[in-house]
Parts: sequence; structure tokens; C-alpha cells
Amino acid sequence: MGLRLSYDDRSAAVLVFPVLAVLLVVAAYPILYSFWVSLHDIVLTRPLRRPFVWFENYERMLGDARFHTAVLRTTVYTVVTVSVVSVLAVGVALLLNETFPGHKLLNALLLLPWATPSIVNGLMWKWIYDPTYGLMNAVLVKLGLIESYRAWLGDPDLTLLLISNAAIWKQMPLAALLLLVTMKAIPDDLYRAAKVDGATVFQRFVHVTLPALRPGLMLVLVYETMISIRHFDLFLIMTQGGPGDASYTLSWLIYVETFRSLRFGTGAALSYLLAMLTFLLSWLFIRFLGEKTA
Amino acid sequence: MARRLLLALFSALFVLYVAGPVLWLLSSSLQMESEITAVPPNWLPPHPGLHNFTAIFTAGDSAEYANRGIAGFLPSGAANLLPALYNSLKVGLWVAGLNLLFSLTAAYAIAVIDFKGRRATLYTVLATRVIPDIALVVPLFLVIRNLGLINSIGALVVTYLAVTVPFTIFILISYFEGIPRDLYRASRIDGCGHWGALRHVYLPLSLPALVAALMFAFLTSWNEFLFALVLTQNAAAQTLPIIIAGFVMDFTTSFSFVNAAGVIAILPPVLLAIIFQRYIVSGLTAGAVKG
Repeated sequence: MGLRLSYDDRSAAVLVFPVLAVLLVVAAYPILYSFWVSLHDIVLTRPLRRPFVWFENYERMLGDARFHTAVLRTTVYTVVTVSVVSVLAVGVALLLNETFPGHKLLNALLLLPWATPSIVNGLMWKWIYDPTYGLMNAVLVKLGLIESYRAWLGDPDLTLLLISNAAIWKQMPLAALLLLVTMKAIPDDLYRAAKVDGATVFQRFVHVTLPALRPGLMLVLVYETMISIRHFDLFLIMTQGGPGDASYTLSWLIYVETFRSLRFGTGAALSYLLAMLTFLLSWLFIRFLGEKTA
Repeated sequence: MARRLLLALFSALFVLYVAGPVLWLLSSSLQMESEITAVPPNWLPPHPGLHNFTAIFTAGDSAEYANRGIAGFLPSGAANLLPALYNSLKVGLWVAGLNLLFSLTAAYAIAVIDFKGRRATLYTVLATRVIPDIALVVPLFLVIRNLGLINSIGALVVTYLAVTVPFTIFILISYFEGIPRDLYRASRIDGCGHWGALRHVYLPLSLPALVAALMFAFLTSWNEFLFALVLTQNAAAQTLPIIIAGFVMDFTTSFSFVNAAGVIAILPPVLLAIIFQRYIVSGLTAGAVKG
């Protein structure tokens, strides 16, 4: 180990430097700075007094009723979104794995929701759910499923599910693509062997396809959970946490605390709590689901 | 026979589910305010026309709009739509270009060169994406504010670079690792340095992955909302999603106008996604099989 770096090391340093510089300024430094902020009582409406308060912001937020509501709402939203996305994606991947006339068109269409900006996704579904002019009311009345028009997003029991529905529409394609690649990698021999053994279509799905899909499913579960737990855009554009606190999720709470109440200290503490929750969940997933795969 | 029927049935359901909502948005955007507010709704525009789109593109001139006799209210922010479209395009192109340059060099170094701290670099890059955006947005706002860069295109470009670079590096690394190592050795024997090997071997051979990276970076910045919401304040830097979100939350805005704005925002990413479908799919699923 001399002091002089080799040609390889010097080249690599030059090639990697731009990326690391950007990430340092825009990611690493803010993350550390945020921790420092979370230990202070900072309110922007009172700029001169910002005392150091140790972990008081964390304690206050952990005991706050809004935090408890937000955790509950985030959990419901995440569980519903992730489970429906996974089930739908398995179905779509099975369909797209077949060869039939027009399947190329379906493959191209799959990218449509994925490419849709989340804000447009939100306005589109808000328009579909519209209480007087929306498509949903018109279709359901025509089918005879409801008697009269309803204000869908105004119903506290349904809001979270309806927002989740919009998220599912956008997130399903990527999940389906990931599962489709995993499915295409299953050797045909496995299916042929199962057929010879007299397995029905359903048995082949349960005993051949599903076990082979496990790594893909695991990836989908982890990824979709991370996306859902931190999701923000739809909550702002569709309901702003309402009606009442029916869609008051963690990311919405962070936004309100920081940019409406201007309490940056507690906002940063909440951000850290959410980040830790995310880490914990991904660790649990990898620990308990990953082991069974191996 | 039964298989064909089932496939047809499921294909129809799939098309309805995936394309239905967007077609309804498109249909609404081609109707006038009086048609859009009919009960029950018009499935297809009775008199399809581009009046809502002309309204957007002439929003600066409100007298002209009133003369068209369209019973719809244009929000005060309507004139910001065109500048926002321009900002979105500008940010997207900058991010796509810089992202390609940055991730290409970094991915080459990590995939090809055996240097001190290779693993540490890779993990650092990937780890930055584990932090939720909403957790990053508060400190980032403070950092950018302290730098005096709030409400600038540059702040958005740098932020989106940090957001997109880890994933494009990941795509490129998995692609580079598939390129035979012998080609690299041959180029080194022929007297190429690392820059030469990158330019003459890896760059020409990884075109599909480069297209995927370009597309991913552009689409991500075009669609991004949260950072833009916090880091921008007016027409100088606001992007399309911010202006559109403003319309949606303003109850006085007519729906025909909002829907048309939505169609304008959805069109570029959807067209790009469909044209470059093959590259995007292979990029998105890079490394998924290896697990």
C-alpha cells in the first residue's frame, strides 16, 4: 500500500466523482442535516429562537394522536395497494405470457399507466369519481348497482380505497413486467414434466409457476411497499387528507407539519421515523421472505 | 377453443382496465364545458374539437377566449401553462443528458475497473434511493434555500439527477457485465486507456441500455411532483405537474380545461414509452431475473 494510486484507481476516481458529488450535496448532506434539524425546536414563524431539544420532537410526535391516525391510514393504504397490485400483476403476467394474436398490442398498452404522470393519474380518477358528472356514478347507475349518484371521495369509509385504486392502476404494470420476466425464465421442461404426471392447469400453476415466481414476487412486494408507504401525490391532489382525517397518511402529516405549520423540527423527526419504518420493513421482508427462497 | 375464448375475454378486460380511464380523459378533453357537464355523461364527444387546447395555447389572451363563447372559466394560472410546458421540457432534457453522462462514466468504473472502494461506491449510490422522497424533501428544501437556489431550473435538474442516477447506474452496470471481458482486454492491449475502452467498446455496444437510461431519466423528471412543489414558487421554474395540480385544487376551474391540460401532460411520456417500449422494458427489468 503505497501512497501513489494506480492508473485504475485514478481513472475510477475521475469517472465516479461527478455522481458522488451530486449525491453528496443533494442526498447525503441533506439526510445528515435533517437529523440535526430534528433535534431542534425549529418553527419558521419564530425564526430567531431554535433551541436544541434532544429527542423531544420524536417523543412529542410518537405521542401525538395525529401520528397514530397517520400510521393506521398508511398501513391500510399500503396493505390494500400492495396486495391488490400483486394479485392483479400475477394475473396480467399470466395473460401476457401467452402467445396469441394481439398480445404485442397488450404489451405496449401495459406501459400506458406506468408512463402517466401521477398528477394526471390523480386528476383522471378524481374526474371519474366526480359526484355529479363522473363516469363511475353513471356506470354504476346504469348497471343498477346503485340507486342514485354519490359523492365517492366524500365518503370516509371509501376514500382511502378509492385513492388506493388510482395508485393500483399506475403501479400494476411495473409489477406485472417484473413477474413476466421471472415467468419467462421458467424452463418449459418443468411444465412438460408436470403434464406427464397428469397435473391440471390449476395444479401446474400452484406447484410449478408460483414457487418459481417467488423471487419476482418478493421483489414486487418490497418495491411496492416502499412506494406505497411514502406515497404523497395522490393524497394532495385528490383529498388533502380528508374528508375529516380519512386519508391522513404519514407523508401527508409530514407535509402539513412542515409546509403548512412550518414546524421544521417535528417535520424532520417525522421524516426520520418514516425512513426508519421503511428500513425496518425492507429488512423484515428480506429476512423472512428471502430465507424461504434460498 | 375454450382457451381462445378465455384469452379474448381477459384481453378485453385488460384493455378496458388499462386504456379505459385514459380514453375517458381524452374524450372529456374534446368536449365543451356544456357537453362535459351533461347527466348522464357523453361517452363520446358529440362535437369533438380542439377548443380546450386552443384555449390553453391562447390563454394569455383572455378576450379572444371569451369571444369563442365557451361557457368555461379559465383560472388565473392558465397563462402559466405554456411556460410550465417549456420548463418541463427543459428540465427533462437537461436531466436526461447529464444523467447519461454521469451514470455512463460511473457505471463503467464500477462494472469494469477493479478499484479500491468499488463495493463501497456501489452501495453508497444505491443506498441513497432507500430514503423516502418525503423524508428528503424537508432538508433538501433547507439546503437549496440556503444556497439561494429556490425557484430555479438548476435546483430541479440537480435534484432529479440525484433521484435518477442510482437506477440508471444499476441498469448500465447489469448491461456492461454482459459484455464479454475479452473485448475490454483486446482494447487495452491495442493501447486504449479507460476512456478509450469506454468510448470504443462499451459505448457502441450498449445502445439499448443507454436509450433505456435516457427514457427513464426524462420520464421521471417530466412526471415528478413533490420536489417541484417544494422547490419552485412561480412561472420561472414551475413544471407542468405543479400548474395542473393547482387547477385541480381550484374549484372554479372548468373541467374541460383541466382535462385538456392533463392530456397535454400525459402525451409526451406515453408516446415515448410506446415508441421505446422494448428498451424501457429491458431496462426496467434489468437484474430482476438474477434476483
